[in-house]
Amino acid sequence: MKKNLSRRHFLNLVGAAGGSTAVYKTSLALGLMQDTGPVAQLDLKNLGRQKRKVAVLGAGIAGLTVAYELERVGYDVTVIEASHRVGGRNLTVRHGDIIDELGNTQVCNFDDDPDLYFNCGPARVPGHHRRVLHYCKALKVPLQIKANLSRPAYRHDPNEFGGKPITVSRYIADARGFLSELLYKAVDKNAFDEPLTADDQERILAFAREYGDLAADGLYKGTERAGRKSGGFVTPAELFDVIDVKALLSNRFWASGMTNSENPDWGEPLMEITGGMDGIIKAFVNNIASPILLNAQVQSINLNSETVDVVYNHKGERRKIAVDYVFNSIPTHFMSGIPNNLPREYKEGLAALTPGNFFKIGFQMKERFWEKEGIYGGMTNTNQRINQIWYPSHGIHGQKGVVLGAYAFFTQSDFFERMTPEERLSYAADCGDKIHEGYSSYIEAGVSVPWGRMNHMMGCGANWGKPGVRETYYKLLQQPAGGRHYMIGDQISYHSSWQEGAFGSAEVALLDLDSRVRAESGETKKG
Amino acid sequence: MKRYPTRKLLGLVLLFSSLASAADEPPVPPDEFVYCTVCHGVQLMGNPIIKAPRLSGMDAWYVEQQMKNFKKGIRGVNPEDPYGYVMQPMAVPLTDAQIVAVAEFVEMTVSPAAEVTISGDVDSGKAHYSTCAACHGIDGKGNEALGGTDLTPLNDWYLVTQLENFKNGSRGGNPGDIYGMQMRAAVQLLTDDEAIRDVVSYISTLRND
Repeated sequence: MKKNLSRRHFLNLVGAAGGSTAVYKTSLALGLMQDTGPVAQLDLKNLGRQKRKVAVLGAGIAGLTVAYELERVGYDVTVIEASHRVGGRNLTVRHGDIIDELGNTQVCNFDDDPDLYFNCGPARVPGHHRRVLHYCKALKVPLQIKANLSRPAYRHDPNEFGGKPITVSRYIADARGFLSELLYKAVDKNAFDEPLTADDQERILAFAREYGDLAADGLYKGTERAGRKSGGFVTPAELFDVIDVKALLSNRFWASGMTNSENPDWGEPLMEITGGMDGIIKAFVNNIASPILLNAQVQSINLNSETVDVVYNHKGERRKIAVDYVFNSIPTHFMSGIPNNLPREYKEGLAALTPGNFFKIGFQMKERFWEKEGIYGGMTNTNQRINQIWYPSHGIHGQKGVVLGAYAFFTQSDFFERMTPEERLSYAADCGDKIHEGYSSYIEAGVSVPWGRMNHMMGCGANWGKPGVRETYYKLLQQPAGGRHYMIGDQISYHSSWQEGAFGSAEVALLDLDSRVRAESGETKKG
Repeated sequence: MKRYPTRKLLGLVLLFSSLASAADEPPVPPDEFVYCTVCHGVQLMGNPIIKAPRLSGMDAWYVEQQMKNFKKGIRGVNPEDPYGYVMQPMAVPLTDAQIVAVAEFVEMTVSPAAEVTISGDVDSGKAHYSTCAACHGIDGKGNEALGGTDLTPLNDWYLVTQLENFKNGSRGGNPGDIYGMQMRAAVQLLTDDEAIRDVVSYISTLRND
């Protein structure tokens, strides 16, 4: 007897026979998505009386986005989170909060004061991260401007200028002066491949003078752009001496920070969520009615033809939930330790990614000493292992403040991970003393956050860097395995370790799901 | 013979089965052991991506011994053993009683046998293994009296790493680790990488679960 084939069943069969690629081609998801520009309303189909069950694995940005969007259109959502808290790597710590590092549980010892917090994960939002901003606006999460570059802050190299820091403005002004003077001389020597007209030459000379603030004779003799050594208001301005070119070059600020704000993700002006980056997490939690189970660790994921079974442990019991769809933001590097029957190629893709890593220290300072040096927000850059010191953009002229005392990237984090929390703080304090006089004497409290050792994380984002991995597996991992299991999170994006990547991965998955659900009910989405 | 009294194990089994949905299923880890599963995987099945070895079914006496070595800084403090470094701080805050409990938990976990990922010459490996058999047994199941652990639960890639660690002294170089020092001497008989691969491939054939 021939059974009637439902459209949904048909899609599943196509998926089973042709692999996920076949199903994917029936989906219009990516065609409907805009990766830049204003965020369109997702306009997901409301299920009405239909029932669809969804399990969201992981309550970070991507998981919460999926839960928020799907429950609004009638899906029955359960969020399963392994750790003791919601938010994933969006972690803002305040007085009394636990930092759940494996083997080194810390309790944040900052004063109990809403201004004294530390963003251990994401801390900056640029204006072109439209998805982050869309959800902040929709959920009424207030933002404020966050200075990232600060010209009065420092560039420090223990081996240059007698180990004394110089201001960012001085370095940048002199570097540009040096470059402009070379350009000026090149015009004089007619050192261009193309013949230049007299007008061209004049324009280049004018550009060089303006770019580097050269003197009329085309030589760089210092500039007020470097900041003034003294005066300039009611007494005459005194300029700094021009930095010797060799020192300028051997101090490698040009390679490790000078152009940071030309990276669009760090381009001025940046923003931060007022009161701590976890404001977006709190807003999601307040706007999500679906159950969010904490301390619930996934034990297995099994794709069946009509459902996905997820087994998890919760409150000492093993439980099973059978759902129509899974949205999985578990770090890809844990998936090899969780029994599952995902397709072989999909598993290979997950196993091809390795964990990224970051490390941060936050210090509570008993006095905002940096403000006395004319620094308000922004960062100092050093080639010591702490890399950076960030000054808070909020709470100006208050008594205390929390600074970022170290920010190590990728494998640089190993150095700090191998220390005890106390050793890390003491090491970073010593580095700070070389930049700000008396730095360590202001430290009242501190936390260190090694993402590579954080419980249920053991890393920060996914590393797609191995040759061929992106080309071979990215599109595959954006697709739902068996039409039912979506991998999400910043790990499934081109912006790993950014919230925008997490939001984007959720959007891709939601639009794909929606196109399937519409296809099953015979609809196509107006594009 | 196991050092662990049956009564104690039975107590744990009862505890677990009352919590688990079915009595014959492997234990739901108590909260304090969830940490282990974060890296070592569900039921300590191992996770090759982050180089956390399979632990399920390992001898409790050996786990206890090694946890104590980690705690004392006898193991996992040499920069040439980066994955030992990841493990080492986990043992530091544990009391002796907690270490015993961890070891019992490890022994009770159940997961599929480790996959074979290393291919070497099994016959050549068998010849090399005759030396190993003195302490680890002809069947690879170990001998507590001689300090030789059961090798059959372990991942082949992990065995390779550990043999290399013993060879380069990042493990078994501390006088506080008597069995490790014996192992370090024994492993010098494996003169090159090929010999290590061969013997590990042979050990893989000893698994019968």
